[in-house]
Amino acid sequence: MSVKIQVTPERCTGCRLCRQICTIEKFGETNPRRSLLRIEALFPAPGRYVPHVCDQCGACADACPNGAISPQEDGVYVVDDELCTQCGACFDECPEEVLMEGADEVPYKCDYCWACTEVCNTGALVRAE
Amino acid sequence: MVPGFGGSTLRIDLSGGTVTRAPLDPAFARAWLGGRGYVDKIVYDEVPRDADPLGPENRLVVTPGVFSGHFAPSGSKCCFGAVSPLTNGAGDSTVGGHFGPELKFAGYDLLVFEGIATTPTYLFIDDDRVELRDAAAYWGHGTMDAERMLKEDLGEDVEIACIGPAGENLVSFACIGHDYGRQAGRCGIGAVMGSKRLKAIVVRGTKALPVHDLPALKASTMEIMKRTAQHPNMAPWQKYGTAMFIGWSNEHGVYPAHNFQTTYFERHPGIDGQTLVDRLLVSHKACFGCWMNCGKYSRASLPGREAVYVEGPEYETGALCGGNCGFDQIEQVAYVNWLFDRAGIDTMTGGGMAAFAMECYEKGLITRDRLEGHEMRWGSIEDLEHFVDMLVERRGIGDAFARGYASAAAQIGGGAERLACQVKGQGMSGYDGRPAPGMLLSYMTADIGAHHNRSWTITMDEDLGKNVLTGKAKVVVHLQHIRPFFDTVSCCRLFWGEVDVSDEEHIAAIRMMTGWHDLTLEEILLLSERVWNINRAHYLERNGGPGRRFDYPNARFYEEEVPTGPSQGARLTLEDLDLMLDEYYAARGWGKDGNPSREVLLDLGLDTCVANLEREGLLGTLTEPLPPVRGERYKPKAF
Amino acid sequence: MIAVTIKAGGLLTDYLRPDADAYSRRVEARDGETLRQILEAIGVPPGHVAVATANGGKIALDYAPRDGDEITLLPPVQGG
Repeated sequence: MSVKIQVTPERCTGCRLCRQICTIEKFGETNPRRSLLRIEALFPAPGRYVPHVCDQCGACADACPNGAISPQEDGVYVVDDELCTQCGACFDECPEEVLMEGADEVPYKCDYCWACTEVCNTGALVRAE
Repeated sequence: MVPGFGGSTLRIDLSGGTVTRAPLDPAFARAWLGGRGYVDKIVYDEVPRDADPLGPENRLVVTPGVFSGHFAPSGSKCCFGAVSPLTNGAGDSTVGGHFGPELKFAGYDLLVFEGIATTPTYLFIDDDRVELRDAAAYWGHGTMDAERMLKEDLGEDVEIACIGPAGENLVSFACIGHDYGRQAGRCGIGAVMGSKRLKAIVVRGTKALPVHDLPALKASTMEIMKRTAQHPNMAPWQKYGTAMFIGWSNEHGVYPAHNFQTTYFERHPGIDGQTLVDRLLVSHKACFGCWMNCGKYSRASLPGREAVYVEGPEYETGALCGGNCGFDQIEQVAYVNWLFDRAGIDTMTGGGMAAFAMECYEKGLITRDRLEGHEMRWGSIEDLEHFVDMLVERRGIGDAFARGYASAAAQIGGGAERLACQVKGQGMSGYDGRPAPGMLLSYMTADIGAHHNRSWTITMDEDLGKNVLTGKAKVVVHLQHIRPFFDTVSCCRLFWGEVDVSDEEHIAAIRMMTGWHDLTLEEILLLSERVWNINRAHYLERNGGPGRRFDYPNARFYEEEVPTGPSQGARLTLEDLDLMLDEYYAARGWGKDGNPSREVLLDLGLDTCVANLEREGLLGTLTEPLPPVRGERYKPKAF
Repeated sequence: MIAVTIKAGGLLTDYLRPDADAYSRRVEARDGETLRQILEAIGVPPGHVAVATANGGKIALDYAPRDGDEITLLPPVQGG
């Protein structure tokens, strides 16, 4: 794996700028609900946020019976929606729960466009190579 | 359908149990923008002048505003308003966090509640699905517990605004809580919610927010983000938040100590922003879309008590629940903050009421027998805990306090009203106006009573001279137009006030959101002035006139000299206050009696206000021509 | 002699001009001088500083900067 999003949860403030920019970049709309990462909020105690991002673990690819999810050279897994049969086997396998089901029932996943790291002002999400 | 907005409105009749959806009227949206604009227009038009604020005819208006949800500097706010049970005039309070944005993503710009539910109820919104549901399981629970329980039952991905036992029990300064520690604090809107037996509003939104020009908005916001990230003020704000000004406030002698008896608290280092960061801080906590993340989430332990988690203490709480009550340890202030947050009580009026009670106790105006055998000592956590209990449950004299300052003072007797630090019933914000007359004028003339968010002038007061009474009124008028702009578009003022994001940049962002290419700052300032005058008319129509008689603080502020500290000797007289009011009314185009004139109301297109006030003999008479523009922007001469 | 960088935004920026580059200005001072004294020497009224930080941490005006310190000055909060 040559690239990753480095997550430092202690720095997350829950601002959700990452979720805003994600859907603007990937879908051209303002709709954090569709974003490809999620922020877990542990309140009232211990009072912290935990970003969950795709770390390209490949579990979704392993679960796919049709080889519709596969890694690129840099290790980033991408979905081929023409091979996808909408069987839904992949969603439950994502350990970070960041594999998103689109209206077309095809999975959408983070492909390291880095937009979230560009808007994260605290260093909770950092581009690392 | 206007881009930038959610698109729909909901009318909820809690008596009949019905919900009616309608599209947002584009003309209404442009005329009143949102936030305070919607609140004040709707309550003026719909709430009968003799309606009980805690009765079925009052409206609870909830509105996220145009900025909320957008990728723009701090589009996070939601405004809650009604006729206030605290001031008996139009009231509103705005909360940050994530509630406003979620309403927008569900497609809503306005919720108007009327009536009273027969049993405890919450409103559940899941995009187009809107249901009134039984809240029996949550009724009686504190705000943080209720939020946690609702999220356990409905999913972690909902946003919630709810009241605590204080709102349920109609404490007149009850607030609305959200996101474990943000509040719509002022004006007692939580009591209006409680009077309707509405425990909470829960919302989940999954729709895309329509934007007129998203690429332009994105580019503009990214540019502002990069620029402001480097601004010298950004790092301290991110690290310390509002609490860092406790020291400044003391050093400049405007800090409330011991119920505003004086304006300097020697032990203030124990309760300031550095101390919060050193001893309490768990996380920096941001509102939606905001990189200033000024919120501070804290964990505080007091001996013999379980640790509490609380957002804050923010400046106002650090002032009004800090030195004002004689607490000198940050853990104590955080604990008091938590007590009020849990109960759903505004920490500002709550701290003010507690301090009022403490001074009355010190002076023997209240004795232990009226406190169920307890005391009410300065800086005593156990005494304050018991007081809050009596207040929330409305036991004994707690009931009088729950009704507000006038009622408490009447029950206490002995001239206690001199010590009740408020205007129009709203507890005074955490700055003393005797060393800053412009600030006192701001408190006196704010539509919702002694609140600082309409106009804040401490810097100008120092600049022009702390003893200077003239020349400040027209600036107060201008501030009362520009600051509410942020309340109508539901955007936090901190980017404008602290890191140099200009008025024009905010207007440009709204144009990109909505496509309103011809929107100007002048239009918005006029809207603010219109809303201001509507609120004044509303106040007079509900309370009678002349308006002037409501525009004074308690006698402490015109009879007592500041005894100690950097502002020692600061003293204002009733004549000083009258001088400032005269100048203010003239600057506003109001009569000397504080009533709006026909001329200014017609100039603003407020024919209905003219008719209503005229019928009651409440129009003011001008003795000079109406100023063509009311209010003047302040250019700092020293800065 | 020591050299420190003073940064100020908002209402205080004008005081750092004309020598300032955007928001910051390099200032020389004697070892042991307090921030208050340094500000008075360069024409920034200490009374207009609400909060000061050195290298990110809050300091009082009687703090004596060290060589290379980055000092940030905040004007009073614009309220509420």
